[in-house]
Amino acid sequence: MKLYRRLAAALLAAALLVSLAGCAGTAPAAPGSSSAAPVSEPSDQSAPAAETADFPVTLTDAAGRTVTLEARPETLVSGYYITTSMCIALGCEDRLVGIEAKADTRPIYALSAPELLELPGVGTAKEFDLEGCAALDPDLVILPLKLQDAADALDQLGIPALVVNPESLPELEQTLTLLGQAAGCADRAAELVACNQETEAFLNDTLAGAEKPVVYLAGNSSYLSTAGPAMYQDTLIQLGGGVNAAAELTDTYWADISYEQLLAWDPEVIVIVPGADYTKDDLLADPQLADLTAVKEGKVFAMPTAFESWDSPVPSAMIGSLWMANVLHPDLYDFDVFAADASDFYSRFYGVEIDVSQLTA
Amino acid sequence: MDGARSARRLTVLALLFAGGAFAASLLVGRYPIDWSALADPAGMDRRVFLTLRLPRACMGLLAGFGLGASGSVYQTVLHNPLAAPDVIGVASGASVGAAAAILLGCGGSLTALLAFGGGLLAVGAALAGAGLSRRRDILSIVLAGIAVNALAQAVLMLLKLTADPEKELAAIEFWTMGSLADMTPDKLAGALPWAAAGLAGLALLRRPVLLLGLPDDEARMLGVPVTGMRRAALALATLVTGAVVSVTGLIAFVGLLAPHIAALLRRGGRPGMLLSGLTGAGLLLAADVLARSLAASEIPVSVVTSLLGAPFLFWLLCRREAAHE
Repeated sequence: MKLYRRLAAALLAAALLVSLAGCAGTAPAAPGSSSAAPVSEPSDQSAPAAETADFPVTLTDAAGRTVTLEARPETLVSGYYITTSMCIALGCEDRLVGIEAKADTRPIYALSAPELLELPGVGTAKEFDLEGCAALDPDLVILPLKLQDAADALDQLGIPALVVNPESLPELEQTLTLLGQAAGCADRAAELVACNQETEAFLNDTLAGAEKPVVYLAGNSSYLSTAGPAMYQDTLIQLGGGVNAAAELTDTYWADISYEQLLAWDPEVIVIVPGADYTKDDLLADPQLADLTAVKEGKVFAMPTAFESWDSPVPSAMIGSLWMANVLHPDLYDFDVFAADASDFYSRFYGVEIDVSQLTA
Repeated sequence: MDGARSARRLTVLALLFAGGAFAASLLVGRYPIDWSALADPAGMDRRVFLTLRLPRACMGLLAGFGLGASGSVYQTVLHNPLAAPDVIGVASGASVGAAAAILLGCGGSLTALLAFGGGLLAVGAALAGAGLSRRRDILSIVLAGIAVNALAQAVLMLLKLTADPEKELAAIEFWTMGSLADMTPDKLAGALPWAAAGLAGLALLRRPVLLLGLPDDEARMLGVPVTGMRRAALALATLVTGAVVSVTGLIAFVGLLAPHIAALLRRGGRPGMLLSGLTGAGLLLAADVLARSLAASEIPVSVVTSLLGAPFLFWLLCRREAAHE
């Protein structure tokens, strides 16, 4: 598995920069482009030497705290699912000794790094287990912003803690860079950030002139909860070439709306988030919604649930945007190309061959 | 004479119980502390013990004792076996303060400060409201407390409404469940002076406060300035409760249960603050030990205090009836 992942990573890294093929989909994927010059630093091989040279390092984290690491951390604890997934993508998941609770609700772990499911849990964002975390004797603990108090307590214990806050696309990239520097896999982080940016540019180019349908994003707890412009989910819709039906909302979190509100917006497309507590059939069976344009025209789509919460700033969030682009503009971005792009991404950064049938709406 | 001896024996028993629970609280935890390495000043064992284990146990002791002792004061002073910090608005005032701090994105220490301020403000408003009434009796204090409580609950609901459901609302809800899990020396140091001042004041006023348990005219005849003393006692008990819950969040039932358990153990007679406090300390420390070791993750301590305290109270209740027959 590991050898295969390395091979795949090296091969794909070689194709990087040559074209967007390895990353964001360009319709004619470039099979002949392998003759082009290889990429400067294929991450895995040249990494260790460069990485030890990066220490000691002093970083400023998302809480404005100064974090100094004398040497490359050999044992990591991640208290947040986004950073745990990032560790897999950055290739340092084998150094994790503890992760957040409820790891079994994250399909990407089982797919890409099932050994993570055996690791001890260090609690949730509500109740972080400081003693349990200290007992794992980690060299670095990565925590979300809401666990800043726990990070300060870890400081007092002499355990370095890095606070991150990936809530938007730029913050996702900052977090990747920060984590890459802290964990000693900066090259790999730069590669993933570059891939993200290329995908973003590709989407903007491809969908530039397209007519943008009004999209209603049906939230986790109920299909009458949705995300306004202040949330990452709005970016997802925009990158995928849509207009958020809930653009007028000022809430900074999932907001509950009424049937009347949804009927008044009358979206052309409804997209159900991966973490939904209900099914697409529940929504279609609701008589109150039968007259919506999206329902009548069969434009209700459920985001794939087999990978990650693509509606959140996770490392593979861009695959969510590509999925959205394919759903909203199949004429501009074909499903087969999307499937190839998603497969490439997961094989390159997560070392898994995904089942493309799970990518369908 | 006999009663005094048994009261003393009970106090010693309660002291042993609380002391045992305190020791268990120091011994039990997720980090396997190597006690022989405790002397090493640079060792992780020592740091875990000093910055996590010890503050948590001390806060459990302080919180349990403070809630138990002030609970007995509330019940005595208000002549009401159901009186608890919630009755005159400490709990809901503190919740409003904490919720506001959570919504403003404040850190732990500022949240504690606002919760403390909220609790004191609510009780201040209740006592001031009662002072305005022409009949300065217990009923007006309780009614003013109910009014302030309702007001605070309304504000709390409004704050919850504006909170985002997964992060802030969850944080507010979680705060109202109470926890000793993230106790640090700083938080302990923040609560200790206020709680200690309140407890010291209550200890000094111990005798007049006990006399407040008598009907007002009898207490007056014994030379107790009833109205002023009642306010002073409530203010001091509030200081203790407010200081405790501001760092731990609301801890359910300890303030209500501990005095009753103490009273039933004594089989009649009003339990003193000391016995209630020790019972509360033992109850909370035992609950916290269970909260940290029952499941893979921490359980909110209120869940355990209620699960432990309620059946125990029930058992004592049944025993009492049998004794009377």
